[in-house]
Amino acid sequence: MPSARLGLPHLGLGVGLRSVHFPYLLQQRPAVDWFEVISENFMDSRGRPRYVLDQLAERYPIVMHGVSLSIGSTDRLNLDYLRKLKALADQVRAVWVSDHVCWTGVAGLNAHDLLPIPLNEATLRHLVERIRVVQDVLQRPLVLENPSSYVTFASSTMTEWEFLTRMAEETDCGLLLDVNNVYVSSVNHDFDPAEYIRSVPHERVVQFHLAGHTDRGTHLIDTHDNHVIDPVWELYRLAHQLTGGAATLLEWDARIPEFPVVHAEVLKSRQYMSKELPEFPVSQRERSWIATDEPATVPQPAAYVAAEVE
Amino acid sequence: MKSPVDPVELARIQQWMQSVIMHPDGVEAGIESPGTRIFIDVAPDEVEGLICRSAAQSSIERLHVYANAYYARLLEVLESEFPALVHALGEELFQEFAFGYLQQSPSQSYTLSDLSAKFPEYLARTRPPNESDEPDWADFLIDLATLEGTYGEVFDGPGVEAQQLLQAGDLDEIPIARWPSVRLAPVPCLKLMTLKFAVHDYATAVRRQENPSLSEPSPTWLIVTRRDYVVRRVAVDETEFAALAALVSGGTIADSLEAAQNLWFGDFDQLARDVQRWFRDWSAAGYFQRIADSDEARSTI
Repeated sequence: MPSARLGLPHLGLGVGLRSVHFPYLLQQRPAVDWFEVISENFMDSRGRPRYVLDQLAERYPIVMHGVSLSIGSTDRLNLDYLRKLKALADQVRAVWVSDHVCWTGVAGLNAHDLLPIPLNEATLRHLVERIRVVQDVLQRPLVLENPSSYVTFASSTMTEWEFLTRMAEETDCGLLLDVNNVYVSSVNHDFDPAEYIRSVPHERVVQFHLAGHTDRGTHLIDTHDNHVIDPVWELYRLAHQLTGGAATLLEWDARIPEFPVVHAEVLKSRQYMSKELPEFPVSQRERSWIATDEPATVPQPAAYVAAEVE
Repeated sequence: MKSPVDPVELARIQQWMQSVIMHPDGVEAGIESPGTRIFIDVAPDEVEGLICRSAAQSSIERLHVYANAYYARLLEVLESEFPALVHALGEELFQEFAFGYLQQSPSQSYTLSDLSAKFPEYLARTRPPNESDEPDWADFLIDLATLEGTYGEVFDGPGVEAQQLLQAGDLDEIPIARWPSVRLAPVPCLKLMTLKFAVHDYATAVRRQENPSLSEPSPTWLIVTRRDYVVRRVAVDETEFAALAALVSGGTIADSLEAAQNLWFGDFDQLARDVQRWFRDWSAAGYFQRIADSDEARSTI
């Protein structure tokens, strides 16, 4: 039995670093437990994004979260990418490195989406082999997240939680349990999200993700453009009870409000933890929006930093 | 339908799905296209043998989620990188051009920062012929795309923020006899652009949320650089540009003066005064890192 969270620290309540918040973070230095960064936005950066990350890494724990590892692809692993990933992780002293159980492209292309794989013995073998290679290159455990998905395959022979459990046990990798993704996929694929939460190997859950999504009537889309809804909070409560707690991070990627609103959203998670942590009063500033109220339609990820020009 | 039993089968499923969701005419057309059927030969009404339906959606509807997201996501990225071009074209026409580009140049990179690398070149290659001798609206759009692409490149490329740069005083210390053979090492973020239109003014107006109109042709010599992590640009006259370009491409100060002299038709005393002012301005603006080694040369034009 591995130790809780694979021995990795419980970092507290963090926020996903987004470029619209750069000025606020540098000026205000808010009391945030930790930040998660999109790895690909910083791996090659030699400009302001990297400068801001270096500044924040001096003050806050940093976790790297990738969207292009493509661990499930049948293309060869991109060793140049992995070397850059490791270099950045070393430079910013990343507490861990995560990505998704997915593929992003094949035949040399990148769809920049988190595409699902059939869940069966053959694909499990394929992923296990590749995770081991990645962990060897990174020289640290990889932490993998359950993505939101919108299709399932006739060739799947096991549930997603069975697949994740076996994948984690065979590779000794960690899990990033995205509670919103569990909920989104449960609606899209007609399964019980609580059963999913109860069934994953709790001692391997290193981190939680929380986010908002968009209800399209016939399906949900993981848009990261809104507050976390109550059913997701209830799933988080269950996950927290079963795992004993893990680093929790809020993702907000479209129609991004001011930083205090985003921060307040993740601090709400205290209300759903066991009683050793005080409840957090929900901020009155939540209504302070930057963007329009038009809902986003594009599932995450959409990672790009626009230029600042004088 | 045969279930996948090994990664070869997984490869076929992935190539099939990628081909379907990237197909420009939609999911059904993607499934039926010969380029997709070479991976898995399945008709749209047989797709449930491959992709399960849900309680609320058919297999085809579920694939539409990925297909819709593919172009929407990448168009969103391109729109954020080319805001002035979006303004000039209007969102619908911009998306039409960008859609064509994405079909010809799908991303092959792990980073979205590379997505637009060939977009200005694509616009130039697919532009309608210009019947006149004067630059036309297509030239304006190509100039604008090139400028906004350069802004992105300079913003996140290598810079010199933490480094000591060449100061005007450093030049004063060079013995006069050595001046003609001296070369200067430009900063890596310095880009020199020759444009047919003053698109930098247009781009700035759009970023200020103004509503500029397409301008008349106006030969423009633009210096783009970065200081304190913010992209800066300044338009100069052709003579100053030629002098700077000679240095940036690895020439000596003598080459720089000759380049300026070739374009100068006025009073040479005035040129001498202008040259002194240019070197002071270039030093103050941080265009050069240091006095270069004799064989150090590069081109940023």
